[in-house]
Amino acid sequence: MDDLQFRRSIIADPKNRDDAINAAIKDDPTKQKFAYELDALENKISQAMNIPVPDDLANKLILRQTLASHQQHKRKTRARLAMAASVAFVMGLTVNFVMFSSTYKNLGDYAIAHVNHEASYFSNNDQPNVTLASLNDKMAAFKGSFDSTFGTLIFADYCRFDGSKSLHLVFQGQSSPVNIFILPDDEDIKFIASFANDKLQGKSLNFNHSNIIVVGDKNEPIQQWQERVKKNITWSI
Amino acid sequence: MATKQVRYEALVKALHADLYRYGYWLCHDKHIAEDLVQETFLRAWRALDSLKDEKAAKSWLITILRRENARRFERKRFEMSEYEEATITDVKATSSEQEIENHWLREKIAQMPEEYREPLVLQVIGGFTGEEIASMLSLNKNTVMTRLFRARNQLKEAVDNEPKLRGLHNG
Repeated sequence: MDDLQFRRSIIADPKNRDDAINAAIKDDPTKQKFAYELDALENKISQAMNIPVPDDLANKLILRQTLASHQQHKRKTRARLAMAASVAFVMGLTVNFVMFSSTYKNLGDYAIAHVNHEASYFSNNDQPNVTLASLNDKMAAFKGSFDSTFGTLIFADYCRFDGSKSLHLVFQGQSSPVNIFILPDDEDIKFIASFANDKLQGKSLNFNHSNIIVVGDKNEPIQQWQERVKKNITWSI
Repeated sequence: MATKQVRYEALVKALHADLYRYGYWLCHDKHIAEDLVQETFLRAWRALDSLKDEKAAKSWLITILRRENARRFERKRFEMSEYEEATITDVKATSSEQEIENHWLREKIAQMPEEYREPLVLQVIGGFTGEEIASMLSLNKNTVMTRLFRARNQLKEAVDNEPKLRGLHNG
């Protein structure tokens, strides 16, 4: 290692002495002296560069960060609260919608579900036990009355089914009971004139404020029942 | 949250002094240096999660501080660093011989061209190797080594000539 190279590398990086430099120093007293002087210089430089740091700087830095992140945290908390409120609000709406809106799309679905639900309570052989007077008492709620009974009326009472109040009449049919529902015109449920599933069929009639639905099994002359209802019913204002 | 806080505080305690000194040598002003360090650590806090390697923390922070310092010049374009007015450290309060000597050398360091001073500060205060300095300053290693050589050589010459000068002053 020549002198120039030695000086260059030891001056550029005095702390990092590789084997070549150490070897060079070992053999040469002049270089030793030079290295020694350079160490002294390096001490001076590093002392001079180590300017005093303000005592409280570290604490200031921590304090400032704590304040900043506290602010941020507060902002975040507020955002989270708002988010939670929105979610709760939407859940409320959803629950409301699910609980209080009709499950059935149209009158036919409604009627068939109603019949199926209560089918076990009625048999075609039940004795008639409803008078025309008591039937008309109940019909008064729908502002209607029957002029005479038609068919054999087994049962007549209000039913609350899926949120709608309706009058449920059960007549003896040819092989199974015939159900007639009188229910208020409800805009949530779509009117459908005739409907059927694999066992039951039915027809609906729309009057001023009410719908009358006749449901029976496939053998039943539903059209005929509907005619009878139409003929006998009178609506008051 | 708590662990982030702990990491941050450890980082502050371990490195704020070096960072402050580095900042000081960039701008020659105690107050600006303090501001730079504050800004740097605030940014560091925000990006702390991206700091995976704790060993790289120092060069990471120094990079942030350099960027902050550069931004300072973008913001206000007045002539900074006429060093005489900026490095008015109070000489009177420092009494010992050592302090006077330090002060004298500090002036010499401050007078050095920026391009020589910065690698030297990174080497002496930061303890970085030539390669690390080269990558931080986006220079090649040979350039860095040359600058380090010249920087130290200038100081050496200054120190070698010093005793006479100081003798005159003190006399």
